[in-house]
Amino acid sequence: MSAKYKTSYRAYPAWDYQAEIEDLNRASENGWQLVKGGCFHSKFVNNPDICYRYQLDYQKVDDMGRYIETFREQGWEYISSTFNGWHYFRKIYDPSLPEDSYEIFTDKESLHEMKNRWARLAFILGAFIGIFAIICLVRMVLKPQLPVLVQLLTFAIESAVFLRGGYIMRNQAHYRNHRGSRALFVTFLCLIVIGCTASITLIEMRPILSAQQNTEEVIEPIIDNRWVSFDVRYPDNYYLDLDMNADVPFTFEIVNGNGEIMYSENGTDVHKENIRIKLQKGQYWFSLTAEDGFELSTSIE
Amino acid sequence: MKGKEPLSESYYYILLCLSKGANHGYGIMQMTEKLSYGDVKIGSGTMYGATSNMMKKGWIHEIMSDEVGAERRRLYQLTNLGREALKNEILRLQRMLENAEEV
Repeated sequence: MSAKYKTSYRAYPAWDYQAEIEDLNRASENGWQLVKGGCFHSKFVNNPDICYRYQLDYQKVDDMGRYIETFREQGWEYISSTFNGWHYFRKIYDPSLPEDSYEIFTDKESLHEMKNRWARLAFILGAFIGIFAIICLVRMVLKPQLPVLVQLLTFAIESAVFLRGGYIMRNQAHYRNHRGSRALFVTFLCLIVIGCTASITLIEMRPILSAQQNTEEVIEPIIDNRWVSFDVRYPDNYYLDLDMNADVPFTFEIVNGNGEIMYSENGTDVHKENIRIKLQKGQYWFSLTAEDGFELSTSIE
Repeated sequence: MKGKEPLSESYYYILLCLSKGANHGYGIMQMTEKLSYGDVKIGSGTMYGATSNMMKKGWIHEIMSDEVGAERRRLYQLTNLGREALKNEILRLQRMLENAEEV
């Protein structure tokens, strides 16, 4: 191996931080020494002449000087911190010392305190995202449509992962499934990105259109049926608002490319909101048959 | 209730070590190991958490060593409140021992 530096893009879920420590120790035995630890990637330098033992602490530090000094006093060298409050330390490995002399938490209480600090954050985050999921669920019941469904699923899974993570962290004794959880974690990250991108893209793709017509302002009344066209780019529920009145009866229709009528309304006075229409992919027209004296406003999204 | 809670072993030894005078973290750790014949160890993570909490409770406070020539170091010093917490704990432990002898 000739490279002096390398970057590892291995990510670990917080409740699996012991696995990260084990991997750092193993890397050090193989000559790769951590330079900077991170949530999503870590930097290593090659130095086969030395071996370290690593420790991670999750701590909201008020006084960094005192914090680093407390560790240095016992031979721990401070490496780096992540943006969200994890701190990396290392100590030169001495094979004559027992493995438990490299622990930084020497009683149950302080270890639980550390884990609970993270668990509390995970519960708050999980609950917060859970509220978003519930809002999406309500919107889904009132006005079912694809982008909201995607948001609902994304928020629900995120919330579940944080709540479960907090639970595991608090009861860590039961958790010993390292390899599987890492794959799950990467899947989770991909899912958030895909979920957010997908819902934004789906919203962008929806036809948002409003059309208004008033014979007071427009000299030529619409008599050729074709008023405005719009494109539907994926099958879903779409919602229509109508606000129309005329002196003589009129007919309003939504017509697809083949001339099939998807929705029809007639009368002299139509005031409706959130009419749900199932539309397939394709081009559609608002069609209008009226003679004179109307005031019309419609919108679809 | 909060004040009457038994101290953890680490808290107890930290307070005990400071009762003789101000000391730094490493000194507390060494003294604890010596006093407990190697049974009780206080790792860095435990030490930082315990000292932070005790400073918040007002049991100890931080001072700087003023030894001439020596590197200026952080020392922890017991406050009256901390001394009282230690005294209560010792009383509690004494009572438990007495109870054991009575039964």
